[in-house]
This record gives sequence, C-alpha cells and structure tokens, in this order.
Amino acid sequence: MDKRPLAATLLALALLALPAAAADKLHLYNWNNYIAPETVKRFEAECRCEVVQTYYSDNEELLAKLAAGAKGYDVLVPTGNTVEALVKGGQLLPLDKSKLPNLRNVDPAYLNTPFDPGNRYSTPYAMSTTILGYNDEKMKELGLPTDTWAVIFDPRHLAKVKGRVTVLDSSAELFAAAFKYLGYSANDVDEKHWRQAADLIKKAKPYWAAFNASSYIKELTVGNIWLVHGYSNDIFQANQDAQAAGRKFRILQGMPKEGAVLAVDSMVIHKGAPRPDLAHQFINFMLDGRNSADLTNLIGSGNPNLDAAKSISPELKALPAVFPPKDVAAKLEQLKELTTAQRRLRNRLWTEIKAAR
Amino acid sequence: MDAHRPVSWRKWAVGGPPLAYLVVFFAIPTLIMAAASFRSPGEFGGLAPLVGEDGSLDITLESYVRLVEGTVYLEVFVKSIAYALVTTLACLALAYPLAVLIAQSPRKYRDLMLLLVILPFWSNFLIRIYAWMIILGPNAALAKAINGVRAVFGAEPVSLLFSSFAVLVCLVYVHLPFMVLPLYANLEKHDRALLDAAQDLGANAWRRFWRITFPLSLPGVYAGAALVFIPALGIFAIPDILGGPNDTLIGNLIKQQFLETRDWPFGSVLSIVLTVAALALAGLAAWIGRRGSAEVARA
Repeated sequence: MDKRPLAATLLALALLALPAAAADKLHLYNWNNYIAPETVKRFEAECRCEVVQTYYSDNEELLAKLAAGAKGYDVLVPTGNTVEALVKGGQLLPLDKSKLPNLRNVDPAYLNTPFDPGNRYSTPYAMSTTILGYNDEKMKELGLPTDTWAVIFDPRHLAKVKGRVTVLDSSAELFAAAFKYLGYSANDVDEKHWRQAADLIKKAKPYWAAFNASSYIKELTVGNIWLVHGYSNDIFQANQDAQAAGRKFRILQGMPKEGAVLAVDSMVIHKGAPRPDLAHQFINFMLDGRNSADLTNLIGSGNPNLDAAKSISPELKALPAVFPPKDVAAKLEQLKELTTAQRRLRNRLWTEIKAAR
Repeated sequence: MDAHRPVSWRKWAVGGPPLAYLVVFFAIPTLIMAAASFRSPGEFGGLAPLVGEDGSLDITLESYVRLVEGTVYLEVFVKSIAYALVTTLACLALAYPLAVLIAQSPRKYRDLMLLLVILPFWSNFLIRIYAWMIILGPNAALAKAINGVRAVFGAEPVSLLFSSFAVLVCLVYVHLPFMVLPLYANLEKHDRALLDAAQDLGANAWRRFWRITFPLSLPGVYAGAALVFIPALGIFAIPDILGGPNDTLIGNLIKQQFLETRDWPFGSVLSIVLTVAALALAGLAAWIGRRGSAEVARA
C-alpha cells in the first residue's frame, strides 16, 4: 500500500493548523447577545483576526471571576458602577486615546462621569434603563397606570394584577425603584430610608409572582405575566418575540414619572489583556456610528453615540426608554457603588424581605 | 518481609490517586473556606488584605456574629432543611415501590427499566427545570385542568408556577433517580428464600414486607436518603427558576453572598454551617441506622 497520500494529507493538515494556531485573537468578555453577529464578522474582516466571545449574565459575575484571578480577556463591557469598582481595584489598562479617533462620536453627556473622570479607562458602549414593561391589552382592561412605580408597589393597584407581576431579582435595582417611588435618590444611603423602602417592598411582595431576572422576557411574551420591573432591552425583546409569535397584545415600555435607573455599559481593557492593540482597534471600531447602531437595531439598547442616530430605525428613536428626551433624562440616575458595610446592611434587609411571609 | 512491600506499594498506587483527588479538591477548598470565614470582605470581591495598612491583622469573628444577630438566617436554614426533608420522604415513597418492581422483574426487563430511570440524565439539568416551567405554566393543560376542577367547587384559581409546590415537585423529580438506584442495588440482592420461609411460617404479605424486606433494605434507604437530602439542601437553581417570592433557600443566600453582596467571608460562614448541618444529619441517620440494624439482629 502506498503511504504517500496519508503523509501528504498529514502535511497539509499541519500546514492548515499553523496559521490557525498563530491567528490573532481578540477575547471579548461581554453580556450575552450584546453585539450583532454582522458587526463581529465585519470586525474580523477588518482586523484579520478572530473574535472569541465569552459571556457573563451580571456585573457581579464578572467581578467575582476577575477577583478570583481570571485572565486572558482583552475587552470587557461592565456597567458604570462596576467600571468604578474595576478602576479602584486596579484591574484596568488606561486607554490610549490617540488610537481612538472615533471617541469624538460619543455624546458628551455620557462622558466624564464620576465613575471614571476624564474617561481614562472607559468609553460608553450602550445603555439601558430599568423601567416598567407591560401587556398593553391587560393593563388597559384593568385600567392600571403604566407611568408610575405605584403600579408595582401600591397594593391598591397590585390587587388587580396579583400573581401576574414580576420584579427583578436584584436588591440594587429593586431598592432603587422603591427609593424613586418614595421620592428619594436611587443612590440614597440613609438607613432610615432603606428600612422604609424595605417595608414598602415587603407589603407589595405578596402580590408579586416572583423575583425574576431571567425568564420574565419569555413569561411576558407568552402572556403569563402582565407587568414587570425590568430592563428596557429585555422588554423590547419581549415585544419583538410576541410580535414574531403573532400574539394579539403588545409588550410596551413604561417610563415611570418618578424617574428610573440608567445603566451605561462601557468598554474597558483588562490589565492582563493579551492584545491591547486589538482591544483599541475593537473599541474604535465599535465607536463608529454604523457598528454602534447595529446593536440598537438588534436589541433596542439606548445609544450614547451621536453618529449612530442616522442608522437607527425611526420607531426605535421614538422610544423614551431608548432615547430619553431631556426631561426624562433629567430624572434618570446611574447606580453608585456601596461600601462594604452598606452592602452587608443591604443584604441583610434583602434577606429579611425574601424570608418574610 | 520483602514480599509485603510490593503489596503495600501497589495498594498506594491504586488507592493513592483517588485519595489525592479527594484531598486536593475537597479538603483544600474546605480549608480555604474555613480560613475565609474569619476574614473581612474586600471592597471589590475577594478578601480584604490580611495585613491592613496600619499593620493590623484581618482576623475577625464578625461574620459568625452576623449569623446569630437575628433569626432571619436561621429561619432560612430551617426552611431549607424542611424542603430537603420533604423531598427525601417524597422520593422514598415514590422510589421504593419502583425499586421493588424493578428488582422483582425478569432479568431481561431489568436493564431496560434501569436505563429508563437514568434516561433523564442525558439531557441538561437546567433544560429539565425549564421544561417544568412549561408544564406548570398557567396556560398549560395541568394548570387548566386543576383550575377547571377548582372552579366547579367555586374555588379561586391557583398558580402552579412560581410557587413552593413547583420547587418541591422539581426537587423530587431531579433527585428521584438517586433514591431508586441504591434502593434497587440493595433489593436486588435479597434472598427470596427468606420470604418463602416466612410465608411457610404463616406470615402474610404485609408482615413479610415489614419484618423482612424493609429491615434488610435499610442500608439502601439510608444511602438513597443521603444522596437526595444533601444535594437538595444546597440547591439554588430550582428555587431561582421555579420559586415564588417566598422560596429563597440557603443555596440562594450563599450564591448572593459571593455575587451580589461581594461578601465572601459571610458566604463561607453560611457554607460551613450548611456542611456541618449536612454532616450532622448524615451522622444522625447513620447512628439511627446502626441502632435499627442492631434491633433487627436481636429480633
């Protein structure tokens, strides 16, 4: 038997494997479904590299992983207060702005925040608000308001939707909503106000179906749940899914008049990044209006990129939760970090809420 | 003397790796956890530096004090133990007849039946929990049937999903095979001659079961109970996904400490208490088991 074909095949395979092994790779540690697949392809073509994505489902997961010493990520996309934690924890590489000419596209309103003064480490990527999402048919039928936090906290309203409401399983988000309803800042740190908010939550809890941060999109879509405290992107997604499934109702976004939490996610480079050069190239690429607009068109995220507006569909631009007009934006607040002692107290109140009958 | 040496060498060669595996992957993490429980949380997760800026050592009992400051954490512990107990008893009640059935079936059907018991493991744990969301959902046949019957009697409709009922049903579903398998392994070995002898001596079916089969099967019952109770005690995914607002268990609380609250020391304290509680209950079961078999031996 002639062994040459086998040897030739092996040699060919070895040659094929070489460029693959040596290929340039950008490691992006991102939220799930937080970049359009076409955008990734376009970047891969531009940089002649491969984008390797891994995902996290909340900022705490990202922090816990990095605190435990995880390495090998180039670009991360954490939310404002987590950027602050990462900066203070010395986890980030300063940005080289000479490599980021597209930074000029970003709306100055979202630059130079207290989380990262002067944007030494971070640049805005996309944003979402934590608002109400509702089944328009059911809410109209029941005559419930959809522009106030009262609808998820006031037992008078809740009695009509008992067991059809979910709130986020996040102490930070739920306390912030309760603070806003009570007329305080989302970042209030007065212990008396915290207890007042905890009492408010405990009184409303019997009417809620669940604390839920994962499956409420699906439950809204199929009509099991009629009202949620959730993220604007998720509510947008729920409506898209409901329309795709041919449901008669729509899932709409309700911006509470008391104000809400704004979450701006930013691109940062991890201090252990294997490829800071590719990381800068990627950040600059994502600051391009068209690439940034892809994401908004896909998932309905808010967009801090002024150059993106022209590539975003008009119906999306009309959503106040996505592009807050000035009067709404004035009432939005980004969540700040708590101290260790505050986090311990918050968790204690949260456990009492969860264990309360 | 020389003849013994290779034997002991071989014994270590065979038993050493699994022992090393246990030491490395059980003992060391447990010790790290125990050490972490006496420290303070770091500002950004992890632990505060052992030696502070002022040169003081970071060793504290604060996390243990927090545990007993109020009753809220203990309440969650008690609730978790109750859920795990109910799960174990329900699994036992469902698994026992099934294990007897399999053990008494003709040999050619036995393997197939065992395969069917193990079959659910072929699909992912989370996917099976999500499947229960659909089964228990308000628009599914089950909820409609139950609420249809309730409506006849003028009762309010109930919600199955997001409830303690959903959590318990799924806990039992997930853990049932862990009860069936050790019970089957035990029952299959029983000597039928004992039952025949008892019948000859005039014992009816119930008496034969209660005085012979059940006492003999106790080691299987304890093994199954331990395999169900201990994982059910620490589970967090099922109450997270299927539970209502009142279904926070100790597993959820521990997860919260490591993620949301970034309080590794307190999370370690809760984990240690959980481990100790599980060990204590397993020890208690073993002790009762030994007393039980001693009584059987006397009788």
